[in-house]
Amino acid sequence: MPLTTPRRSRAVTASLLALVLTVGTACGDDGPGTSASGSIKIGLLASLSGTYQAVGKEIRDGFELYLATHDGKLGGRQVDLVVADEGNGAATAVPAATKLLKQDRVVALTGIVGGGSVAGVYPLLNETKVPLVGSNGRPELKEVSRVWHTSYLSDEPGAAIAQHVRDNVKGSVYAIGPDYQGGWDELRGFTDAFAQAGGKLANPDGKTTFTPFPATTNFTPYFARIKASGAAAVYTFYAGSAAVDFVKQYAQSEIKDVPLYAAGFLTEGGVLNAQGEAARDIYSVLNYSPDLDNAENRAFVAAWKAKHDGSPTTYALASYDAAAVLDRAIGAAGSDPTPEAINTAIGQLGQIASPRGTWQFSTTTHSPVQKWYLRQVRQDGRALSNTVVGDLATIGR
Amino acid sequence: MIAVAAGTNRIDPYLIPALDGVAYGLLVFVAASGLVFCFGVANILNLAHGTLYAIGGYTAAALLDGGWASLALALAVGVLAAAAAGVLLAGLLTPVATGNHLTQALLTFGVALAGGSLLVAGFGPDDPQVQVPAALDGSVVVAGHRYAAYRLVFIVVAAVIAAGLYLAVRRTRAGMLVRAAVDDAEMVACMGVSPARIRAGVLAAAGALAGAAGVLGAPIIGPGADTADTVLLLSLVVVVLGGLGSMAGTLLAALAIGEIQTLGVALLPSAAPFLLFAAMAAVLAVRARGFATNRRVT
Repeated sequence: MPLTTPRRSRAVTASLLALVLTVGTACGDDGPGTSASGSIKIGLLASLSGTYQAVGKEIRDGFELYLATHDGKLGGRQVDLVVADEGNGAATAVPAATKLLKQDRVVALTGIVGGGSVAGVYPLLNETKVPLVGSNGRPELKEVSRVWHTSYLSDEPGAAIAQHVRDNVKGSVYAIGPDYQGGWDELRGFTDAFAQAGGKLANPDGKTTFTPFPATTNFTPYFARIKASGAAAVYTFYAGSAAVDFVKQYAQSEIKDVPLYAAGFLTEGGVLNAQGEAARDIYSVLNYSPDLDNAENRAFVAAWKAKHDGSPTTYALASYDAAAVLDRAIGAAGSDPTPEAINTAIGQLGQIASPRGTWQFSTTTHSPVQKWYLRQVRQDGRALSNTVVGDLATIGR
Repeated sequence: MIAVAAGTNRIDPYLIPALDGVAYGLLVFVAASGLVFCFGVANILNLAHGTLYAIGGYTAAALLDGGWASLALALAVGVLAAAAAGVLLAGLLTPVATGNHLTQALLTFGVALAGGSLLVAGFGPDDPQVQVPAALDGSVVVAGHRYAAYRLVFIVVAAVIAAGLYLAVRRTRAGMLVRAAVDDAEMVACMGVSPARIRAGVLAAAGALAGAAGVLGAPIIGPGADTADTVLLLSLVVVVLGGLGSMAGTLLAALAIGEIQTLGVALLPSAAPFLLFAAMAAVLAVRARGFATNRRVT
């Protein structure tokens, strides 16, 4: 009968659930992530395949570099690092995170390249009460009690450079970027702060021009419009292959002499090698540059170069810092570093010494309050490199 | 070097996009003509066509070092490699009945996926850098505007390829066979020309064209994980717009795509995401058979 079946099935479900729970607790006697030998399990989720695998590998390597230079220990405990593949987005990230959180029972999660992946994994964090020390993607989140980021918020690079552009560009500035959430945030950060500083956009309708993403590979028609607008400078944000296309075509376009300012990802990491000469002289804003002159950075860059070709990127740095955050937090979490204890300890870290300079977590957004740097692509030995030419604003809410 | 004339009239800002549209259109023509041949002559729906282009693109990225010799070498290697891949495809397609488009599509799509993964595995996930000959790696001033030198030269080279293609189809024995096969494939078979040979020949020629487009077009539509999809999509749009039997229709469709993607975007940037397909829908609504006037190779 239709009335009795659900009740019976509910009873079956309940008893099954009870069984599962008993088995679950029976297996979980050790407590999550910490074993009798005093080692501790950390989960690292990053794109090791797909579109963002270059970034994902930097993030994995950054974290592993910290472990390698600290005897494989965080907070005095031997670390069992469980690496999982985030893939292209939430669809692949969520199952991987589920495995890390529920099967491996890690005490903390780190990494995650895409903002969409973070949003997908977010409910799992609340369910398992495990903290995330993210090192890249950061979507809009309502509640961040268990979410920490060592990277930045997407609108911060633009906000940090706006005043500098206002002060140094005599005339209006053309804003152009890719048409997706990341592009909107990056460009909004710039245009809002730029308008506040009294700057004027050269775009005909006073609004940022957004190019279809990732479909746009030919920017020539947009360059013709920028030329026609009479802009004195251009501000943009692109990453990955779009950044390569944009920069290479810009250098051969009729606006090649118009100064180009950008969020640092335009010329960061592998894309700079692909852009080659075309990237020379581009100004960009980022929270890190491998030529920063401080002791932490010298040690970090030397250790990185001993293992890898080329200089570390901001992605590797953020992951390195995530390891540093966990190192101190686990050390401060006492004899029983539960996920809850680690999460509480992260909130009480205060200033964190880092290759990027000292920074701390914002109490409201749980992302860094940090200094941003103005960099220019210049010759460094045989290769072109992002060279720091000045300090910009310290930003964080 | 700054153009004095810039902004003096309303056409001026659109000169460069219009010129770029010709470059882009000719590239699409050379890339798509192979697919059109395959479909029109051998009746093969080759969804791995974009992968043939990508082979050329990756070859260019791997071999070009800024000199002219490397360009010649890359062109030779790229054309041969893509033509060989075309012959391989023809071999794989042998058991599939001619005209069985669903099976062909599945098989070639599978080959495209596998080929794409092989290229990424071989050349790495990052889009590789393509180094054009140093002499062309700059910009020139055209009617008071700065334009990439390589693209200007590309327009000339692609026009020569298009003219050569036209002459080959019109004047050579192979071209006559191709035209005959379009008109009446059974009669050609009766005359003792093996359909399998025509199929292998057509796929090799299609591969060679795609490979040449891939090498020469690498600085415009560069090699990368998405290249094969982009080129396949554009080629299919050419087939829809230009029809199958006419080279003039193919050329017209390719140039239209080029202009829509550049001049159209410059005129209507807010419509950029759907401009190409809106134009395609409009053309189809007016003329259900695209630009083609009749089903003959001109």
